[in-house]
Amino acid sequence: MSYVLCPEIPAPGFSFDNCKRNATLESKGFAVPKAIKTGTTIVGITYKDGVILGADTRATEDTTVADKNCEKIHYLAPNMYCCGAGTAADTEMTTQMVAAQLELHKLYTNRESRVATANQLLKQYLFSYQGYIGAALILGGVDIEGPHLYMIHPHGSSVDLPYGTMGSGSLAAIAVFELGWKPDMEEEAGVQLVRDAIAAGIFNDLGSGSNVDICVIRKGSVDYKRTYDEANKKGVKQGSYKYPRGTTAVLSTKVLDVEEVSVTPIEAERMDVV
Amino acid sequence: MMMQTEMNAYYPDYSTAPIQRQINPYADNGGSVVAIAGNDFVVVGADTRLSSGFSIYTRNQNKLFPMSDTTVLGCAGCWCDTLTLTRILKSRMQMYQQEHNKQMSTTACAQMLSTMLYYKRFFPYYISNILVGLDNEGKGCVYSYDPIGHCEKATYRAGGSAGALLQPLLDNQIGQKNLVKPSSEDLSQEKALAILKDVFIAAAERDIYTGDSVLINIITKDGTKVETFELRKD
Amino acid sequence: MFLTRSEYDRGVNTFSPEGRLFQVEYAIEAIKLGSTAIGICTSEGVVLAVEKRITSPLMEPTTIEKIVEVDKHIGCAVSGLMADSRTMIDRARIECQNHWFVYNENISIESCAQGVSNLAIQFGDSDDDGAAMSRPFGVAILFAGIDEKGPQLYHMDPSGTFVQFDAKAIGSGSEGAQQSLQEVYHRSMTLEEATTAALTILKQVMEEKLNSANVEVMTMTPKDFFHMFTKDQVEESLKGMEKIEPEHQRSSLESGYKKSPSIM
Repeated sequence: MSYVLCPEIPAPGFSFDNCKRNATLESKGFAVPKAIKTGTTIVGITYKDGVILGADTRATEDTTVADKNCEKIHYLAPNMYCCGAGTAADTEMTTQMVAAQLELHKLYTNRESRVATANQLLKQYLFSYQGYIGAALILGGVDIEGPHLYMIHPHGSSVDLPYGTMGSGSLAAIAVFELGWKPDMEEEAGVQLVRDAIAAGIFNDLGSGSNVDICVIRKGSVDYKRTYDEANKKGVKQGSYKYPRGTTAVLSTKVLDVEEVSVTPIEAERMDVV
Repeated sequence: MMMQTEMNAYYPDYSTAPIQRQINPYADNGGSVVAIAGNDFVVVGADTRLSSGFSIYTRNQNKLFPMSDTTVLGCAGCWCDTLTLTRILKSRMQMYQQEHNKQMSTTACAQMLSTMLYYKRFFPYYISNILVGLDNEGKGCVYSYDPIGHCEKATYRAGGSAGALLQPLLDNQIGQKNLVKPSSEDLSQEKALAILKDVFIAAAERDIYTGDSVLINIITKDGTKVETFELRKD
Repeated sequence: MFLTRSEYDRGVNTFSPEGRLFQVEYAIEAIKLGSTAIGICTSEGVVLAVEKRITSPLMEPTTIEKIVEVDKHIGCAVSGLMADSRTMIDRARIECQNHWFVYNENISIESCAQGVSNLAIQFGDSDDDGAAMSRPFGVAILFAGIDEKGPQLYHMDPSGTFVQFDAKAIGSGSEGAQQSLQEVYHRSMTLEEATTAALTILKQVMEEKLNSANVEVMTMTPKDFFHMFTKDQVEESLKGMEKIEPEHQRSSLESGYKKSPSIM
């Protein structure tokens, strides 16, 4: 017997148990809860020695900023990272799941994973859900074949490019790349270009904001620069908004004595042994 | 039974239902307005970001409209409606001046705005209006409106895209709600101005439609003073 | 004027070669058939007093309303064609209510008069705004009111011209009454003095003997605004008047015009 709270063996894949119920509720006017989106600017470029990934750090829920400093560059493998845009939960879970698969694959094969493999895993997974998993990804890494950068779209298509952008700020960011990207760039220039592209998204796209995260992946080493640039300084408040003790009124107080309670231990059920 | 089935047959390729097409005449251009009144002054601020969807139209748009020497209107919402409404208001102010040989009082302007909004009850101006000014006794006052002319007199108010975010903050900081020991001191102009700026800093943190800078009008018996204040720009 | 009567007095919108609108001038003449009304403006308030012509002992005097409330802060006395006056008073009331509705404040006396004036000059050809009126109104109005400028008295004639007055008389006895007002009026008059003066002058110009049934008195003060005198209050005022002038010779201003009950 399995219960909702502790399934003996979790069913593989998603649970669609409440689909019918939810559709009924929706048709009766019950508002469907909104998912948090990473209205985002994510970018990636290849340069002389590897790839550089970049992302802003704003997550939004409709027009409200839900997270001012979230991480959008996800770990996939020691030589691979993946930027995610779209539904926050989808990008996180998808990359985590693929990260687990890549880890297993590495243990099975005893080889460093290839970026093409990760791309294949991600696109096949997304394709199987026909776009319902709202994840737009930029996959970057360096393997035996050299640096690779893939744009993966929510419906499962992917493309291998020397530079690319995704998310709501993609237009602002690609403009910077079209102007400044060159083959075989130096790392310093590449990092600066990625920063500028993300900053363009942060300032010109309302869905993107806060800081710039950058991840540089070279052959054999990774440099994850969390909060590489604080593009926006938070305003300095003039007043003090600390509340002295006792600010919240205590409306009533009731003191109860602790009662002595006798406890009868219940013997655990014996496991079925086959 | 067969008859029934045939009668209810559904032919998706051959629909006779009239096709309805609709346009949306409204746009949400965002923006927030905050007003705080004191005994002999009133301060009103509006952010200067004008946007649509995820794009910024301009980072420097004034959303405060002087109606008279002692009255200012702050508008947020559908910008094209704001332009039309404020132009009509301006001409109505001038017509009143010429017809009655006096400048319209803040209270009269407040009532006129209400009737003008209700006049368009079934095709409203999509604007969050906050009218501020000095009344005939020189006391600061704030009037807030819904899009169809409901008017409420208050001493402080937040409206626009971050209105719901800021109103509770003002309730606590100016209305002294949920405090055990409310201060009996009158609100000073300096304190009002500091709170106004601070709430905009807070709004810019969480509301994507509020940012860039704040334009502030300080209205006293000596006239209107204009100030600007920078906000984050992401 | 009437000796030079010409064909130019037919249309309401036709100027005579001398530049006169005869129909409007005739309408102003019609006022002189109406009963006398007097208004005096003091710093304490405004008083209006009018004569009511009781043309038959079978007539119910209280149904003749010559002083009406237009708004709390504006009262009007009318003289001339009573039926026309109803239309004008209706407009005055609408102007007041509309101003209150739009601006949530009392309309000024001048603006109220302006509104009625706009109606008064709508005789002439019809246009997009609606059908024309066939003739000017045969009514003169005294507006007594209080606004932010204090107590005020305005007079309007059938041409729509309105002018502020300290004291003004309209109707059949207006010429004599206006002369008397000029003599008796001074700036430091109290309202009580003004009331007495108005009644005294009214008494002088009226044909009938003045009593509480054939006169209407109303005061407009910053405290009570529109206040119509009750029969008792009128009698009290009449008594006060007799005390000051116990033996005053009633002047016999004879009106040469035939009295019509519609013109009062």
